[in-house]
Amino acid sequence: MVLGTYKEAISARATDKAIQNVAQDGGIVTALLSYALEEKIIEGAVVAGPGEEEWKPEPLVAMTPEELISAAGTKYTFSPNVWMLKEAVRQYGLEKVGTVGIPCQLMGIRKMQSYPFGTRFIADKLALIVGIFCMENFPRASLETFVDEKMNSSLESVEKMDIGMGKFIVNTQDDELNIPLKETHGYEQAGCNVCKDYTAELADVSTGSVGSPAGWSTVLTRTDTGASIFKDAVDAGIIETKSMDDVKPGLGLLEKLSTSKKDKSQKEIDKRRDMGLPVPF
Amino acid sequence: MSEKIVISPTSRQEGHAELVMEVDDAGIVTKGRYFSITPVRGLEKIVTGKAPEMAPVIAQRICGVCPIPHTLASVEAMDDSLDIEVPKAGQLLRELTLAAHTVNSHAIHHFLIATDFVPENLFATAVESVSEIRKNMQYVVDMVAGEGIHPSDIRIGGMAKNISELARKKLYSRLKALVPKVNDHVDLMAGLIADKDLPKGLGVHDQPIMASDKIYGKRDFFDLDRFTEIMPESWYDDADIAKRACSTIPLYDGINVEVGPRARAAKFGGFSEKGVVAQHMARAIEMKTYLSRAIAILDELDTSAPVYADHDPRGTNKLGIGVIEGPRGTDIHMAQVADGKTQYYSALVPTTWNIPTMGPATEGFHYDYGPHVIRAYDPCLSCATHVMVVDDEDKSVIKNDMVRL
Repeated sequence: MVLGTYKEAISARATDKAIQNVAQDGGIVTALLSYALEEKIIEGAVVAGPGEEEWKPEPLVAMTPEELISAAGTKYTFSPNVWMLKEAVRQYGLEKVGTVGIPCQLMGIRKMQSYPFGTRFIADKLALIVGIFCMENFPRASLETFVDEKMNSSLESVEKMDIGMGKFIVNTQDDELNIPLKETHGYEQAGCNVCKDYTAELADVSTGSVGSPAGWSTVLTRTDTGASIFKDAVDAGIIETKSMDDVKPGLGLLEKLSTSKKDKSQKEIDKRRDMGLPVPF
Repeated sequence: MSEKIVISPTSRQEGHAELVMEVDDAGIVTKGRYFSITPVRGLEKIVTGKAPEMAPVIAQRICGVCPIPHTLASVEAMDDSLDIEVPKAGQLLRELTLAAHTVNSHAIHHFLIATDFVPENLFATAVESVSEIRKNMQYVVDMVAGEGIHPSDIRIGGMAKNISELARKKLYSRLKALVPKVNDHVDLMAGLIADKDLPKGLGVHDQPIMASDKIYGKRDFFDLDRFTEIMPESWYDDADIAKRACSTIPLYDGINVEVGPRARAAKFGGFSEKGVVAQHMARAIEMKTYLSRAIAILDELDTSAPVYADHDPRGTNKLGIGVIEGPRGTDIHMAQVADGKTQYYSALVPTTWNIPTMGPATEGFHYDYGPHVIRAYDPCLSCATHVMVVDDEDKSVIKNDMVRL
């Protein structure tokens, strides 16, 4: 299946205006983790919090909804959340942990749960894993190149980043700048080129903008845990939903992009294998 | 007619050791000798020439029974060599780690001696409470020091991280809830040990006791000038034993001593009993003392205070001394750091102190009681071994030129 195993695909957004205001799209990650926190399904969550420098996120063990909101929004560069899980379980004392990650991070987490070497008593403490759709991820230096060099602006002034309609877009206080997405090629993390997972297939719940209209997110519920927490959050009025059939551009676009990532990566994998290079898949 | 009774290896202890008892016609021990036959670890040589932060990481791997005391003694020695003052909260977290570990370690010992004292109908109860206590105490070590077995977050300069307020409250309430369990367990074990009717005076000896502190360990206590270390060759008057014994003999003021729970209780608690039963009692009572200290630390700990002191790791070649009261006694590590590298490292560990005292302590009673005397010390051999067997044929160490590690 091109979208991985899932129970339900649905378009959704957070009903809380405070979340909508800071969210990248529908605010699903923030809303879902906040709901899990308030309902004591989790005691805290490892999220990509604000770092010392702009657009350099650092893992944050969020234990309040306010801390979760401080971490809202897509960063496009890596936050090593998996690294923080151990500290969340140890010094922070969390016994039920939520986290959010991109597909490659979830591969690490699921592998850790299968083979908990060096992660004793950590894997079993993960109560909710939210995944985000991801085509590629950039080192911070790449973001700096896009904004400082290609757009002649500066990262410090950027308020929001987005990818859509074939463009890499940034919003500064008074301007919207963009470059064509093809100009970003070659600046992504090297591993992205051999990654075949677009929709975070190993998550409890996956979410991302593709397939839903602006301000909404597409949600794939995957595991029993994920589906039941999501359903409860909807029932509680934290999240509102629309059928995927009723929204544009719909699930078709998600399937198309997921297929293209799989195909493109398979080509790269084959190419590397032909050259005798090791590939992880 | 004297006969030799040899128990090799002695059982229900960590590491391999041999108990050789000369007995008279009635089977009474006239001469007891106890010595380590565990292969050498050599960790002091491994850490020499490496960066100082390597020492605690390697030292804790000397043995899986005492990783916490060794890590702590190692960082304390390094702190001293590098002239670091650890922040108060960091010091409290270290003490909390040790207190929790000690309760856990004493509980393990109760499991080891269970077949000596616990009747069948109470066996499951005793083992169950050992497990419950261990689970909770190891949870504390996990939280505070990163890992229960090889703590990753005890660092030179303090601790890697303070614990969160949530963790502090959790640990506090869990340990409070554990108090009745530990009290019942201690009462059960103390009662059973008292009921066992071991011969009066078993294991009593006249050697002095040595302890640095009631709970954590004090480096000022250790006076290097009063300490001497001799080779087993000049200690054991039996040539066969002398060449196979793998631990050096440490002496304080020129004589062998006893370290451990009874020594601490005698020096800091006015405890005057001696011998096997007294050692078991002192150990059992320590479980209560250490648990209440752990709870007190969690009560007073400021979770927002710094726990780590920035420091210059290059060093001035000062001899640093770290003294920790481990479950089995005084654990002393010594280290010198210069040019950012460990120049000298030595570990002087609890059971090493006890080894020369344990053998003679079996004297005067039937050899059947020999193992009881040995187990009362809760010996743990692997860290004690410092001399390498160089001849595999006859298992001997080279006299006088023996390789010291």
